[in-house]
Amino acid sequence: MVLAVFAVRALSPAFVDDQLSGFELPDRVQDTLTLAISVIIESVPFVFLGILLSAVVQVWLPHGVLARHLPRNPILRRASISLLGMFFPVCECGNVPLARGFMVGGFTVSESVTFLLAAPILNPITIITTHQAFGWDGHILVARLVGGFVIANVVGWLFSKHPDPQSLLTTRFAAACAVGSTTGHDHAHARESRFSQTTEIFIRETSVIMPALFIGSAVAALTQVFVPRSVLLALGSNPVWSVLAMMALAFIVAVCSNVDAFFVLSFGSTFLPGGIVAFLVFGALIDVKMLALMRTTFTSRTLVQITVVVGLMSAALGLLVNYVA
Amino acid sequence: MLPDRKLSGALRYWAERWQGVLLSLVVVVATLWLAFSGQLGLYIHPRYFVFTIAMAVIGLVLVGAGFARRRGFEVERTGRVATTLTGVGVALLVIMGVAMVIIPPTTLTSATATQREVNSGGLGTDDDAEQAAALIGTGDFEQLSVREWVSLLAQSSDPAFYADKTAQVIGFVTPDAKDPENVFYVARFVVTCCAVDAQPIGVPVYLPGWQAEYEIDDWVQVTGRFDPSVSAAATDPLAITPVEILPVDQPNDPYVY
Repeated sequence: MVLAVFAVRALSPAFVDDQLSGFELPDRVQDTLTLAISVIIESVPFVFLGILLSAVVQVWLPHGVLARHLPRNPILRRASISLLGMFFPVCECGNVPLARGFMVGGFTVSESVTFLLAAPILNPITIITTHQAFGWDGHILVARLVGGFVIANVVGWLFSKHPDPQSLLTTRFAAACAVGSTTGHDHAHARESRFSQTTEIFIRETSVIMPALFIGSAVAALTQVFVPRSVLLALGSNPVWSVLAMMALAFIVAVCSNVDAFFVLSFGSTFLPGGIVAFLVFGALIDVKMLALMRTTFTSRTLVQITVVVGLMSAALGLLVNYVA
Repeated sequence: MLPDRKLSGALRYWAERWQGVLLSLVVVVATLWLAFSGQLGLYIHPRYFVFTIAMAVIGLVLVGAGFARRRGFEVERTGRVATTLTGVGVALLVIMGVAMVIIPPTTLTSATATQREVNSGGLGTDDDAEQAAALIGTGDFEQLSVREWVSLLAQSSDPAFYADKTAQVIGFVTPDAKDPENVFYVARFVVTCCAVDAQPIGVPVYLPGWQAEYEIDDWVQVTGRFDPSVSAAATDPLAITPVEILPVDQPNDPYVY
């Protein structure tokens, strides 16, 4: 089987070379493909890294070791979890498999949500790139970091009040968690080597995450090709509309949080700082691709709730920056 | 345990056991081949090359391990609706996966440039302006690229400033949104992360009836000076009056970073 795969690999380049001359698709179809492929090629390394780190948490670290060493007080506990991204800088797409690994490894749903929402912003790469792009101008960096921290913890707190947290998860994933927490991986796979278990995790996680990433990228690409950008750009200088327009842009562009600062920098002259902050906070947590990825783990209802709360808080933050700062 | 012999069981087994591994394989193959043939830059910014290639190699090892794994693989049974959805999903993914391997890689086209509005973003940082100013200081104006001229034009549209400066720029042809008959842009895409965030920038060229000679998306080198635009309808107040327009090949790195 592996040999067959290598044959595919060896043959496919030749096939493409043959097609280079005279093979043409309509521009929009071609661009949709180019955009979707670029999102996939950009994100997949982070997904692999996230899966590997998730395997480290599940297989290589003693069961529940992370969960044991965190503070007991729920609020402090979630606050420290929201800083875990400093040690796992895997970008937002890689955070999904990692957060799934945390849940299988004993984190509660609200704790994982806190991690999922905080880590894209509170991680060294995002902080460095945001600083490179904006320095200390217009409180953008501070607003982004504080905003991300507060939003993640508020959403985590809200979900911690849920009477039945397991119902927030898809049935399949809840079942997987139940297996993980009752038997513990060390007993379930006692005879298997760690590498073999890592392979199993790779197979299971990619079978869930990769389709979601492909679909999410296709949707992102289609929206980009068919929704005119001018609609959004016309709104840039109004304090309220600039915030909403930038959030909409963040939602459809789906750029990874560790580089979105460079992207949005180019809109700095068109949009008010509040719009930029709303883009940097909302876009890092929620976008079309992320929703597809998170749907692997959470129910649609949960995602709507998360999106609404994050959206409202990001908008409030953006307006605050526009009117007060 | 062997998978259920019925369609739904087989489909679910396929989706859970092979889908992720095969999609990973497609991406790994595409990535490594693009890197090997020097075309990775069509999709992502060079700063990610090392990381992306390294992770693709690691991914290849994991994919190999995934294929080699002989242990039994259990899947749950699902109802008819879930099976249909899985079937549709698998079909869609097969199409995307195949497309990713066999469609020849290309740059984005004018369709996207028009959709995103030329010069609506992608520039305007202090760095660009400083770089352009430094190059202006050398007096060798033909060294200035599309990017530098665009950032100069964003700062000043005073015709006197441009009177003694000849521009020579390379880019693809895309029509002006407001006066497509008489004005086209020599355009490039600025990429900050990957092609998804590409922002079109361009220098306007005034040439009535340009469509007769050049096609949209043709790569050209335009030489000429900036004059107040003759076209009253055009988007920009200045435009190059071309002295010479040469068709050129698409550069190896068509995007600017």
